[in-house]
Amino acid sequence: MTQLIKTLIFIILISLHSLAKAIEVIDILGGKAGEIAIAVLPFEGDGSEKDIKFNEIVKADLERSGFFRAIKTDGINNIPKDIKDIDYSYWTALKAELAIVGKVEKNDTQVKVTWDLVDIFKQKLITTMEYVGNPSQGRLIGHRISNLVYEKVTGTPGVFHTKIGYVKKFDDKKYTLNISDLDGFNAKAVVTSTQPIISTRWSPDGKKIAYVSFEKKKPVIFVQDLSTGERKLVANFKGNNSAPAWSPDSKQLALVLTYNEFSQIYVMNADGSDIKRLMRSRYIDTEPAWAPDGQSIYFTSDRGGGPQIYNINLDDKEIKRITFEGKYNVSPRLTPDGKFMTFITQEGGKLKVAAQNLKSNQVLKLTKGPNDESPVFAPNGHMVLFTLKNSGNTSKIGTVSLNGFKFVPIEVGANLIQEPTWSPFDF
Amino acid sequence: MFRIADLESSIDTQSNLFTLIIHLSLILFMAFTIQWKPKNPYFAEVELWEAIPTKTAENQMTPIKELDVEKQVTKKEIVKEIPKQADVDAEIILKKKKEKIKKLQEELLKQEQIKQLQERLLNEEKSKRIEKEKLEKLQEMLRSEEVNQKSDRIAIQADKDVEAGVNSGELDKYKALIQQKIQQNVNNNLCGTDYISLDFEIKLLPSGELLSDPVLKKSSKNPSCDEAVERAIFISEPLPVPTDPKLFAKLKQLRLKFYPNGQPE
Repeated sequence: MTQLIKTLIFIILISLHSLAKAIEVIDILGGKAGEIAIAVLPFEGDGSEKDIKFNEIVKADLERSGFFRAIKTDGINNIPKDIKDIDYSYWTALKAELAIVGKVEKNDTQVKVTWDLVDIFKQKLITTMEYVGNPSQGRLIGHRISNLVYEKVTGTPGVFHTKIGYVKKFDDKKYTLNISDLDGFNAKAVVTSTQPIISTRWSPDGKKIAYVSFEKKKPVIFVQDLSTGERKLVANFKGNNSAPAWSPDSKQLALVLTYNEFSQIYVMNADGSDIKRLMRSRYIDTEPAWAPDGQSIYFTSDRGGGPQIYNINLDDKEIKRITFEGKYNVSPRLTPDGKFMTFITQEGGKLKVAAQNLKSNQVLKLTKGPNDESPVFAPNGHMVLFTLKNSGNTSKIGTVSLNGFKFVPIEVGANLIQEPTWSPFDF
Repeated sequence: MFRIADLESSIDTQSNLFTLIIHLSLILFMAFTIQWKPKNPYFAEVELWEAIPTKTAENQMTPIKELDVEKQVTKKEIVKEIPKQADVDAEIILKKKKEKIKKLQEELLKQEQIKQLQERLLNEEKSKRIEKEKLEKLQEMLRSEEVNQKSDRIAIQADKDVEAGVNSGELDKYKALIQQKIQQNVNNNLCGTDYISLDFEIKLLPSGELLSDPVLKKSSKNPSCDEAVERAIFISEPLPVPTDPKLFAKLKQLRLKFYPNGQPE
């Protein structure tokens, strides 16, 4: 009996307790797209060579992404060299959310970098890693550090180790197709020509580059093997041969031929064999871009009156219009997951890089123009590489982040840089 | 001619006979099979101890008893047998050996008993310690319950005040201030583009600082987004809280519901 009374009292008390403890709820909608403050501290034992200063490489990479803001560490005394030396209250006061500390051990044959990523607010080690390479791989090690930090924070793999291709014009008589690191370092020419080179396209398997050359006194398409340097003329049909676009499996190319008529889209094997016309229309259809699932092709067409972007299903040949905002939308390219499309849009007389969410159809204007062209997504879909044309016939290339719209130029030391392409993750 | 009455009388006679036979056989069965004598009930001896026996009682009682039995057995053997001279020596050696064995057994027994006793004492101590700990815990619970009740009384009072419209404006003001401060620090860059939501629960000190780490109650299923929101809470420390203890009692524990990319219309 007493047990029963006790139980009843207990239940009543518990009920009263929970009633008294009703928690207040606060709804927090949206946020402020900002950058994560990160302190990339000088690595212990790092050399004085500016080009291979690990914390500088990592800082630059992370800042390019638009997700991070590197806290200035110049003039700060007692910079921690090890995780156990971190004064968390000091770095919290500086509003640093994350910190990287590292150590470099070098000799004639190898470089070993040990580093830690730390959450300042939680006072917690996020990751610790050791990279070893030969002395010439110093910058690559730096980029690998950036990649992992990026992945740990954003959940998406970083692309700082990837390569880009671009065309450099020295004067009217010399053009080179160059390949370099994303930050412009380690550049080398893979094609040199006295005639213009345009429409560079890195194959999804990372082994080849397709491009349009004018060396036959008209535009023709070459495919060049990057490991052997061997190149092949794959499209030299009647009229203009332009705008090559790789299929996701790198086995086919979509291209545009004129045959002295309107531009029309064709599909052929990557070696130039078995060419087929994709569709027959009375309009200009150009700039094909394969969807990552290989099921459809995006392209630019004036079939609606002005240039707009459309999509053709490769099975039933059904055509859908994709862009509706504005009167001029061209040069479509897709993210590897197929969720976003980047293109050039005209707004207020200026040509800008835009990105469209293909699910919601929301359009973001990533740049301000006025003469941007040739946008291409990073292999992780978080940045767009494009050409900025200036007045006075000069141009440069740079990246803009999808989130935060952060623009960072790529310095490659020339006045006329254009037609960029981006390698896949592995090349 | 067949009549129902004849049939009925014939059935009556048959059934009476059948009943009689059945009853007789039952009586006979009972007479020969059931044991009418009362059987001695089985009973077990149970020793009821009020307390654990003392050390001396344990030590003395059992071994003495066993020693007596041993002695009697030896005597009996001697009485029964008349040993030869040669056998006498052997008998003496055997006796000595037996005595030695007995002594050894006794010692072993004693050691065993000491060991058992030590174990019992240890167990006793252990159970006392556990009891003590339980008591302490109970006291601690009572104390914390008292504190909670106090705090709850304040919260209930605050509830009453709010209900009465005394502090509702103030409460909303602080909720809005907290919402604003945290929202500014939510980096929704890390939350993709889908309409997602996540919940954190926080406990606050009267200074507005976190009493403990935020607890993720509902994940956005995007670890980077969960982390970004958690960081936003940390960055927002100290949160704006009222100095009035009644109002603070209402805000000391909060459920924060985040919609980093807004809510669908």
